[in-house]
Amino acid sequence: MTGYRELAEVVLGLLPADVQFGDIRVVRRTHEQVLVELDGPGEVNYDDSLGLGLRVLIGGQWGFAATHRLDPQGLDAVVGQAVGQARAAGGGRVVLGEPVTTRDTWSSPMVVDPFTVPLSTKLDLLSATVKEASTAGPLVQQIEASVDFYRDEKVFANTEGAMIEQTLTESGGGLMVNAGDGNDVQRRSFPQGVPRQIRGQRGDFATAGFEHVLSLGLPENAARVASEAVALLSAPQCPDEVTTLVAGSNQLAMVLHECAGHPMEADRALGTEASLAGGTYATPERRGNFRWGTPIVSAYADATIPGGLGSFKYDDEGTPAQRTQLVKDGIFTGYMSSREYAGALGGQSTGQARADGWQRLPLVRMTNICLEPGESSLDEMIAGTKRGILVDTNRGFSIDDQRMNFRFQTEIGWEIRDGKVGRMLKNCTYQSDTPTFWGSLDALGGPDEWRVHGVPSCNKGEPLQVAHVGHGTVPGRFQKVQVGR
Amino acid sequence: MSIEQADVQQALEILGDGARLDILGEHADLLRYAESAITAQHSERRLRVRVRVDRNGRSVAGSLETLDPDAVRSLADRLSAAIADLPAGPTPPATDHADRTDRADHSVPTPVIPAAASVLESDPAVRHRWFATVRDGLDSSAKLGGAIRYDVLDRVVADATGLFRAETLTKASIQAIAKQDGRSASVRLMHRDADQLPIEEIPDRLRAALRPLPTTEARHGTCRVLLKPQAANALIATYGYAVLGANAYATGRSVVSGRLGEQVASELVTLVDDGCDPDGLPSGFDAEGNVRRRTPLIDHGVLVGLVSDRRRAGLTGGVPTGHAVPDGWRFGGDPVPSHLLLDAGTSTDDELLAETGSGLVVNRLDYLRVLHPKETLVTGTTRDATYWAEDGELVGWHPQLRFTFRMDEVMNAIIGIGSTRERCDQTFMESVVVPSLLIEAGPLILP
Repeated sequence: MTGYRELAEVVLGLLPADVQFGDIRVVRRTHEQVLVELDGPGEVNYDDSLGLGLRVLIGGQWGFAATHRLDPQGLDAVVGQAVGQARAAGGGRVVLGEPVTTRDTWSSPMVVDPFTVPLSTKLDLLSATVKEASTAGPLVQQIEASVDFYRDEKVFANTEGAMIEQTLTESGGGLMVNAGDGNDVQRRSFPQGVPRQIRGQRGDFATAGFEHVLSLGLPENAARVASEAVALLSAPQCPDEVTTLVAGSNQLAMVLHECAGHPMEADRALGTEASLAGGTYATPERRGNFRWGTPIVSAYADATIPGGLGSFKYDDEGTPAQRTQLVKDGIFTGYMSSREYAGALGGQSTGQARADGWQRLPLVRMTNICLEPGESSLDEMIAGTKRGILVDTNRGFSIDDQRMNFRFQTEIGWEIRDGKVGRMLKNCTYQSDTPTFWGSLDALGGPDEWRVHGVPSCNKGEPLQVAHVGHGTVPGRFQKVQVGR
Repeated sequence: MSIEQADVQQALEILGDGARLDILGEHADLLRYAESAITAQHSERRLRVRVRVDRNGRSVAGSLETLDPDAVRSLADRLSAAIADLPAGPTPPATDHADRTDRADHSVPTPVIPAAASVLESDPAVRHRWFATVRDGLDSSAKLGGAIRYDVLDRVVADATGLFRAETLTKASIQAIAKQDGRSASVRLMHRDADQLPIEEIPDRLRAALRPLPTTEARHGTCRVLLKPQAANALIATYGYAVLGANAYATGRSVVSGRLGEQVASELVTLVDDGCDPDGLPSGFDAEGNVRRRTPLIDHGVLVGLVSDRRRAGLTGGVPTGHAVPDGWRFGGDPVPSHLLLDAGTSTDDELLAETGSGLVVNRLDYLRVLHPKETLVTGTTRDATYWAEDGELVGWHPQLRFTFRMDEVMNAIIGIGSTRERCDQTFMESVVVPSLLIEAGPLILP
């Protein structure tokens, strides 16, 4: 990060006297993606982005400007734009709370730097994965195996004296198989699904090195995953009924994301997403008394989990990573916040201000949203179920603007009959609302089944920002859930 | 911000054979507000240089934030090394169809789309005035949230064969959501030219939409449903994205695969994609540099066309229709519609409401997501003003509800189309121009 620190200091030195507070982030993001498909030699993509974002507070009102131009003219312009925005707005109401004065340098841990691994090694891994998947037969129409690696080199500085250098390295990979027979198309993904047609950026991600990709076992699972895609074509439809739902750990990750993660962002609770994604049931007067789920469920945000995709040492306001309780014994208890929104709620930031690159204003974003494990296991939940369905791998979802009523669809499901897993089912969906669904939870997997799933595609804000988040979850069982097509 | 042709040419020379540049100079100014107060203002300047190099059947890509020769040279070296590492792919023969279509398309002049001075020379004071106009025009008990955004986009697509297309696009938009006594209503306006937006009409529209009708009991079963333009926007855009791309058609993933020339929607439906129609938000060419051609898709319910890129030009008469998507686009790599326009009908809004009789009136469909693309099965909720009508009169606010339905069934059940169209957009589509749609009882079931 040679020169970035000096650049930050230069910009802060250009701020006029009426700036109450200012902070700057100089960010270089490097992204490498390698993708191999069924009928091609593969694709490689290298992205490199460098710029700075400046935020100023004048009269209690924000102004923000970002630029890729790091020459003197560019720096003068970005200061003028940020200051001009803040002054034009007139008086504001932003209160930031305790100053942030940290000075530190930190890099996320990894074993093997993915940017030093030869391209040929990555291509070999993915080609082997595609080759294994292609053994599932002629109904396999499309295979994509990909790996993605990110590195963010960030310098954060503010007018309160903070100067923080952080380097985050993230690695991930996955497989997607589409099978079709002319009448139907079915998809299976591994290790987890992607709700859109995104090329690459599939699978499971972690703040870690190349060792994470190797640990996924892509070639070892490819033939099974592709065979399941083919088998789904002739599988029976998921029946329409109210029944017991057993959800795999990676499926619950997305439900937790939508039912607890987004609703418990403080800026959303205070109305700033009203015109975009919407509001939330988790309004301030409900904190501490809203029954979110059964007493066996507790949830928290934790940016300190080693390897979690939502982990870091400091957020994009310089606040240290920390753990924040969101749900305790089934009751909604807390918010994720930034300095501004913690101030509006009368507290201190919980360290969840995050920006998508240099060009975006930090927003309150999820880090790692986790369930505390229970005392059961997936096998015990199935064994204790007379009639129900087991679902896995998210295929899509929709939730209303208050984060209450939702419908999720999974890539695959199976009948459960008399304590045993039976026939495969396709097009499984389930519909409920947040407190009813989590209020029907009667079993959670234990600590041995707890794992963090890394999701690199959380969207929020205007302009749209994409965040990388993690979810620590276990399998769970829910009673009297409406399932069906 | 402008992109100099000499800098582009220099970058292409550094990158060598098979290189294509897709360059965006993005300039965005944004004012956001919530609870009737300004919450943030953004000003962003960004240069995104996307590079793709295709050699001997191998394809590699990269992106930068600069056209500085040293940075381009560094990326070029990296891409060349990657090409050397990739296994050989199928080499297209010299007479390959796609090769011929490339050259044919390059000879077409770049459409001229004038930029609007009102956006190029924007001032924060204008955005503040817009915000104050809307806020002050509402009742004092109403809370306002939303955003005002000005965008200037300088675009260049150029390649090593001599293709060079450039344009500057402008867009001003305002989103306003008002809440009052537990009710909410929204208005979203956009135009290439900020001076054309009727900002002063927004408070009246919001006040009318927030009318203090009683809240009705939730209805169940079937009924006619009137989709106002913002709701029709979500339906038509999602249908177009899932159904009308050439790759989805060719690979059997579209519900209309193999049905060109057949009836696939109500006879009232005539749908085209036209990137240059000023009723939308015009743009003249796609990420491959193909000009955006006016492409009839559905003519009185009959499927007559698809949108394509160079790879799928064989399905559109050997010429790409101008619908290649950018490298790394988060909505996939296949060609999809970009500027959909649905023909207006002959019914006024009052006539459509009268024809609705007793039924649901939906202002907005939110979070519409595809559950099964081949079956066009989607799910989503209503939002910001859902009403119940009796005998053609709005009689109450209906509780927000979730719809799960097949889009192809709804497209076949359209029995009335409004005479007034609105200009809309989606995160995955540049513009959608649609009127209100009246849907016969049946496919949209109230759960």
